[in-house]
Amino acid sequence: MELVERYVAAVQRELPEDKRQEIGRELNANIMDQLDALKEQQGQLSEDDVAAVLKQMGRPRVVAYQFIPPKALVAAEDMPLLKHTLYMVLGVLFVLQVIGATTHWMGSSDGNLIRFLLQLTFGFLDEACFAFTAIVLSFAAVNSSGQRVGRCAGKDWSPKQLPKADLGWQHISLTDVFTDLATYLFLLIVIWHPLWMNPEQITDRSVTFTTDALLMLQWFSPVIVFSVLLSLWQLQQRIWNRGLLLSSIVVNAAFVVFLVVLAFSGPLLQAGPVELKSLFTVLQLEKGFTYGLLITACFPGYEVVRDLWRFNKLN
Amino acid sequence: MTTSQLDKMRLELRRGVLVLAVLASLKQRHYGYSLRKQLQDRGIDIDEGTLYPLVRRLAEQGLLDSEWQQAEGRERRYYLLSEQGKELLAQLTDEWLQLNSALGPLLTQDQSGETE
Repeated sequence: MELVERYVAAVQRELPEDKRQEIGRELNANIMDQLDALKEQQGQLSEDDVAAVLKQMGRPRVVAYQFIPPKALVAAEDMPLLKHTLYMVLGVLFVLQVIGATTHWMGSSDGNLIRFLLQLTFGFLDEACFAFTAIVLSFAAVNSSGQRVGRCAGKDWSPKQLPKADLGWQHISLTDVFTDLATYLFLLIVIWHPLWMNPEQITDRSVTFTTDALLMLQWFSPVIVFSVLLSLWQLQQRIWNRGLLLSSIVVNAAFVVFLVVLAFSGPLLQAGPVELKSLFTVLQLEKGFTYGLLITACFPGYEVVRDLWRFNKLN
Repeated sequence: MTTSQLDKMRLELRRGVLVLAVLASLKQRHYGYSLRKQLQDRGIDIDEGTLYPLVRRLAEQGLLDSEWQQAEGRERRYYLLSEQGKELLAQLTDEWLQLNSALGPLLTQDQSGETE
């Protein structure tokens, strides 16, 4: 019966320490009963017969899990809240990373766009991994004590507040909100770079905005700040309502007008103190920038039309 | 329906019923193997990997009393329905009978293809 002892010991190894002895004792008794019943049918049992019975019972680890099923790291009940928390935290980290990467990019002498994107990507991944681990472990710690993170009642709700069934667009996507927030903060950092960059860094640049272009951008900053507040409002509401739609229409229309006016107010770029080491001349960059502004204006333009249609649907 | 789908559905269907069958069987004292034999003899085939952990869980919930005893030169753990287990069994039996009486006509109706 050494095989049985080995089998029971293998099962016990997979069990929590405080359960090993009791479950092992019971499992051993059950196996011995089963072998006795087989002996009554077949007579003396060989080692192969015993091995066949044990094999039929299943792998020791599987048997151990049948007695003490492994617990999920995070309870199924808490999964929606975990996903929501991850979305929110990773979104905020992305925005912060955009701020950090933009600041660094503006401060560097070469203004290499690929380097900016790499720094943004790897910086975000680095922080996202840490945040993901920390959040999941926090949920696991709360769950392991038998509590549920999402068990609190939360704010009151009414079925009347739910969006209409045929208006699927009414739900505001978190991805959209965080992408908008990151874009607006990026713009603010670029526009107000003279405030936080030291003069040496500015004189290191080969292409800069003209004074008039920079002045226009700075005058437009309140609209961008308002856009940031609007994004935060969307984050709090999570459902498009008339107020939000109206604000969004106004902001996007302001963006369209501004971008078009800016595109036709050239020159926008000028050569900086450092010689431009690029495939393009400042004039070509100016032309590209102008077209870029006009193309960019199409996006808020589309959103104005889309939100007008939505506003009409909500009436 | 594929075999795996059928197996999964059958497992779900049997899961709750097995608890009832085990509780009902343990109105008499049994040890693990004898309980399994009795259920098998009554037409309820249940593998040891399901039965033994289930019995332990029911005992941990206070629905079964248990004691170790020496028998035939070996120790065995005997289980018997506790007072709490008896109360629960009575309630579950009522529930089962109600469900069964409601389900029976539904299933017969499906077989005959009638709509009302």
